[in-house]
Amino acid sequence: MAGRKPLYDNEPVRTALRLAAWGLALLAVALIAGGLVLDRIAAGQDVEEVGNVWLYPWLLGAVAAPAAVGALIAARRPRNAIGWVLVAGALSLGVVLAATPYAWVALEAHPGSLPGGSWAALVSSLWPVFFAWPLAIAFVFPDGRLPSRRWRPFALFAAGSMALLMFVLVVAEQLEAPFSDAPNPVPLRLPDTLGLVRPVAWLAVFASLVVGAAAVRIRYRRSAGIERLQLLWLAYAALLIPLGVVVFLALGESGDAVVGFLLGIEAAVAIAVGVAVMRYRLYEIDRLLNRTLVYAFLTAALGLVYASVSLLAGVALGRGSTWATALAMLVVAIAFGRLRSRVQAAVDWRFDRPRYEALRRVRAFVEDVREGRSEPEDIGETLAAALRDRSAELLFRLPASDAYADSLGTVVEPSADDRSVTTVTHRGQEIGLLRHAPSLLERPDLLRSVLAASSLAIEIARLRVGVRLQLAEVEESRARVVRAGYEERRRLERDLHDGAQQRLVTLGIVLRRLQRSLPREARILGPALDSAVEEIGLAIDDLRTIAAGVRPPRLDEGLAAALADLARAAPVRVDVEATGERLPAEVEAAAYFVVCEAVTNAVKHGEPSHVRVEAVVADGALRLVVADDGRGGANLATGTGLSGLTDRVEAQGGTLRIHSPRGAGTRIEAELPCGS
Amino acid sequence: MRIVIAEDTVLLREGLAGLLEDAGHEVVARVGDAEALLPVVAEHEPDLAVVDVRMPPEYSDEGMRAAAEIRRGHPGTAVLVLSQHVETRHALELVASGGGFGYLLKHRVLDVDDFLDAARRVSEGGSALDPAVVATLVSPRQEDALGELTPREQEVLGLMAEGRTNSAIAKRLWLTERTVETHVRSILGKLGLPISGDDHRRVLAVLTYLRASAV
Repeated sequence: MAGRKPLYDNEPVRTALRLAAWGLALLAVALIAGGLVLDRIAAGQDVEEVGNVWLYPWLLGAVAAPAAVGALIAARRPRNAIGWVLVAGALSLGVVLAATPYAWVALEAHPGSLPGGSWAALVSSLWPVFFAWPLAIAFVFPDGRLPSRRWRPFALFAAGSMALLMFVLVVAEQLEAPFSDAPNPVPLRLPDTLGLVRPVAWLAVFASLVVGAAAVRIRYRRSAGIERLQLLWLAYAALLIPLGVVVFLALGESGDAVVGFLLGIEAAVAIAVGVAVMRYRLYEIDRLLNRTLVYAFLTAALGLVYASVSLLAGVALGRGSTWATALAMLVVAIAFGRLRSRVQAAVDWRFDRPRYEALRRVRAFVEDVREGRSEPEDIGETLAAALRDRSAELLFRLPASDAYADSLGTVVEPSADDRSVTTVTHRGQEIGLLRHAPSLLERPDLLRSVLAASSLAIEIARLRVGVRLQLAEVEESRARVVRAGYEERRRLERDLHDGAQQRLVTLGIVLRRLQRSLPREARILGPALDSAVEEIGLAIDDLRTIAAGVRPPRLDEGLAAALADLARAAPVRVDVEATGERLPAEVEAAAYFVVCEAVTNAVKHGEPSHVRVEAVVADGALRLVVADDGRGGANLATGTGLSGLTDRVEAQGGTLRIHSPRGAGTRIEAELPCGS
Repeated sequence: MRIVIAEDTVLLREGLAGLLEDAGHEVVARVGDAEALLPVVAEHEPDLAVVDVRMPPEYSDEGMRAAAEIRRGHPGTAVLVLSQHVETRHALELVASGGGFGYLLKHRVLDVDDFLDAARRVSEGGSALDPAVVATLVSPRQEDALGELTPREQEVLGLMAEGRTNSAIAKRLWLTERTVETHVRSILGKLGLPISGDDHRRVLAVLTYLRASAV
């Protein structure tokens, strides 16, 4: 067929087809509408068996639904036979259903007022055409083609048996009820020897219906994805039949009610076909089926409970007691909630194992989180396991930003790949993204219910990840501030030594040269210049002290050198045992200032006779100990200068411990990670 | 005495030059950084180079490195390093490598006579180490320990301080080299100098001695 342009692809042809589809559909609706008008007329003349007003909507629906759905499909997808089948079905129903009141009016209400009354009666008796379009749909649903070539004979058999039945009805001696008294205007009659043909034709039609059902069943078995959902819609509409039968049996209705019910089913099937073919809300079917099953079982079970309780209570309290009814109602009300979740689980388990297992897993995880057995951040892995999708990845939307982060708190840019993305919401707010295999989109109900069951855990995880990230940012910025502080101290120290001190030295040299070049008679100025230079020397000493306080230059030679100077300058005996290893500059600076502040603090508040300082590297961390034999009782909270230590240590990602029992000295231990 | 000066601060450089010239020395070259220093030393072969530690471009220890290079390449040129602050790393190495080297804090210059004396001593092959540096290296306890040395050990330490090797000391004192070694080990032990593989123990011992004798 390659290269040949299909007829339908011409715009004028398509317009014509569209017009034809809608035109035929309108015709069908017009026919049934006219039929209803005629029915009112017949009812006005007190004709029996007509004028059942509550049947009208069903009659209208049974024609209008396939007409509208068929026209819609035929107009949108003219190549799909289903649209045309529906339109034809609506038309045939319209004709048959309109013919009945026409015959009533023509033959009974106003005899002779309308022509061809007996022909209308004949058409009316062709009611088994009702089965025609559902049968055709069964063979070609949902793509408008037979399931396979092998089905052609079966389809031909079905068409043939339907045609045979029609033929048998047309040439029958007696028309179908209610016009069995009317004469058949067709002159042709079957010979009496072929009287068996009629039941055979009926049997063949029923056999065709069974084969049609089998065709749907086989198709369903082989189907996957969207086709499966489409077939499920059809099955859902068909499911109404047994349900309806049960309801009818329960209500004890018959006659017109059954007709109305059958008409309703035709309408329902037509709508289901429309949904399936047009793929409008196609995915709702799972939930719809699930809910229908749950509520059907629930109704049955609650009915049973109600009946048994009221029966038992009736025996106990006396027949007809209102107490028995009230008690039964109470039991039913109490049972409802419990029973509902049980039935739901049972239905899930029986009809939707993946969903059942997935929800069970997620709920167990949420329970574990509540009990503190699991970390909420692991929800992503649980989801992947529950959805049986290894590629599934959950990203948390960070609070107060548009960024996403994974469970480790790493900010991630969700780049496009071949995975699908589903947004996770909680209370109308986006809390994350689930990236998953596209095949999961075919189970949106599964995805939705699993995500709904896990949304609380996701929300908790998201907030925790967010807080952790913010904390990391704050810590990072504190570390930056502290580092900048060390840098600033270094710069200041350099400025003091290389700037101010040099100038003072230069000034001193100038004075010294002046002094040495004084003529003999001016030597009297000598002592004054001496004391001036001496003053400069003192200024330099001050400056050096200040500079050393800002940052000891010996820190350039390592922590051990700087700490040795610190010990020498201390007013009490300080023993230092420090590593000769060189560490990152900011670690050395932090360690120096920690020890410096700790020793200063000890001397100031503890009045020790001896301070011991240790600085050793072990397990990638610099361990500092400053222990004195002073008064003790030092406390981080009481503002004895120790809180600054905590800041310094924690900015470096380290830990600080203070052990300071009253009267037994103070021991400060700090650990600074140094990456070596 | 012929002198070159390397100092990046112009006023200070000129002041130093003036001070040395006032004292009758000849300043043959003045430069502003360590890179320019080596060529002028090679050109003039001066008796002494007065060198600032921190100089362009890095302002870290360019002067110290240049000093080491001069001592290696031009044994005839002594080096006097001037520093803004105490720094022991290279100072000790250079002092340990023998005479002809001095390390002073800059403001010692203001005690003009001491400064000129140190410059003269260094250029004559001696050493000069700033008291502040010595104080950093030698603890009071080690000084106290000097009193525990025997007269012979004192004598050996004194010769060590003059920069003599063990064999030179052995010759001078009419001892075997092994005996001198024993004395040296005993001295280091008594001064409490750490055994931890340190080449500077000998220097530290000398420094202790020098400091004590200076007091």
